[in-house]
Amino acid sequence: MTSPVIETHRLTRSFGPHRGIIDVDLQVEPGQIFGFLGPNGAGKSTTIRILMGLYHASSGTAQVLGLDPLRDAVELHRRTGYLPGELALYPRVTGREILDRFGSARGLRDTRYRDELIERFGAEVDRPTQTLSKGNKQKLGIVLAFMHRPELLVLDEATSGLDPLLQQEFISLLRETVAEGRTVFLSSHDLDEVQRVVHRLAIIREGRIVVTDTVDGLRRHAPRTIELTFDRDLDTTTLAQLDGVQVTGTDPRHVLLTITGPVAPVLRAIAPLDPIDLLARPADLDELFLGYYRSTDRPEATRAH
Amino acid sequence: MRTEIAQIDLRLRRRSIIWFTVGLAAYAFILVAMYPSVKSDASLGDLTANNPTVAAMLGVNGSLTAPTGWVNGNLYANFLPLMVLLLTIGYGASSIAGQSEDGSLGLVATLPISRRRLVREKTLVLSLLAAPLAGATMALILLGRHYDLTLPTGAVIGSTVAVLVMGVDFGLVAMIIGVLSGSRGLALGLTSALAAASYLVSSLAPVLSWAHTVRPASLFYWAVGGDQLSAGPSLTAGAVLVLVGVALHLVAVAVIDRLDIR
Repeated sequence: MTSPVIETHRLTRSFGPHRGIIDVDLQVEPGQIFGFLGPNGAGKSTTIRILMGLYHASSGTAQVLGLDPLRDAVELHRRTGYLPGELALYPRVTGREILDRFGSARGLRDTRYRDELIERFGAEVDRPTQTLSKGNKQKLGIVLAFMHRPELLVLDEATSGLDPLLQQEFISLLRETVAEGRTVFLSSHDLDEVQRVVHRLAIIREGRIVVTDTVDGLRRHAPRTIELTFDRDLDTTTLAQLDGVQVTGTDPRHVLLTITGPVAPVLRAIAPLDPIDLLARPADLDELFLGYYRSTDRPEATRAH
Repeated sequence: MRTEIAQIDLRLRRRSIIWFTVGLAAYAFILVAMYPSVKSDASLGDLTANNPTVAAMLGVNGSLTAPTGWVNGNLYANFLPLMVLLLTIGYGASSIAGQSEDGSLGLVATLPISRRRLVREKTLVLSLLAAPLAGATMALILLGRHYDLTLPTGAVIGSTVAVLVMGVDFGLVAMIIGVLSGSRGLALGLTSALAAASYLVSSLAPVLSWAHTVRPASLFYWAVGGDQLSAGPSLTAGAVLVLVGVALHLVAVAVIDRLDIR
């Protein structure tokens, strides 16, 4: 049995009176694209910085590639590619200078793959970085993270600023990467991007992991919607009393049901009501994600850095 | 020793190094060129020769129109250290805390290099940063012998190196405060205040007894507070400046692991 590439146990980081992340448990298996989702400020970047040995944890443990992120930072960084969420490149130097210096610091002698990535993403490497758009800086960040073919890629909001074509190219790159047996830890708040590529995902909200599952597993529990049309005003009390059914909408002739439980009892309840039309929609993963995203606490309860 | 990070940091400061060097070299040349016309000005010479307080404020021993007085009072006791400190304290504060604040250190710190090496490379940059400025200034002062401004070569070289080492020391102080606080602004402010206090203690020591008592705590005293341009810095002064630098470097290495890098 292979060891997890990333494993955390009750990982916690406090920032003064605020708790950044609380009791975060993660397990990422080799060869996976693992999605790490959450709204802004949920604690994604804090978790990633601890995994990369940039931040200290207040308590709990983290192992990345079997290494301690702080104690074994040099070895960990040799085997990892990192793209920060707020990519800040040195100003006044060209992308090529940065790539050359960073490549040299990594002992990278064969630059063919690096040059292939530059070509593939159309990265602008001959202009000073302060003159580049956000998207062009992000392309450089992607090249920096991937150029040494690391075993693990830790990517924080990687497609931020990329146009749809390059986002597609990036997704292809991720698939090629895991096809080679390497692992990707992909933080994002873009639900669509994550749905398309990840094998497993975790959602973090206000510093806590609220769910960890596969996309298919989540889809099974995602709410489905049935829209009913009647030729008369309908009393929806019977439907509202069913388990796992929520009646939404205010038009008494057009009833919208959000169903999280079994469908058969709902259909049996609908039949005697004699609707003139029925429209069933597929599982709405976005709605499920948003449900996990929505906070029930007051805004000041938790803050992540 | 691999120096990729040092090379980037030096590259980023290339323009400021060049312009600081050109500016101070021009100033030094004007001082040298002016000397033949002021060396016989008795009233200017008496300004410090007969007034120890004014002499102390200007960092001069004896007459302002003597070669050592002229160069000390206009350059080595004030302007040269100020320019060196502007570069080194500025870099010390930004090298780790500033780069962490702006996010650029995060990429560097995830390269396969240890944090100790990071501090070593930053210290190397501190050591090189002000060398062109001080070197050019020193060269022009040594050319002063063609303008009747003759100073002992060894003493000028020694004093220049002492100012440079003092600059590295204060730069390391800024680096340490930045690492401990994570704030570039705090590192700049506190270290500048410390340097100003050090300067005041050294310059007022000849006229204030309390300043005289505490002057061994002032790095300015060891670098330029004595008669360095005549006799050169003493071995003790050199040892203090270097050992303080070594100690500060070790402190920076020890505290860097505590820093949370953005």
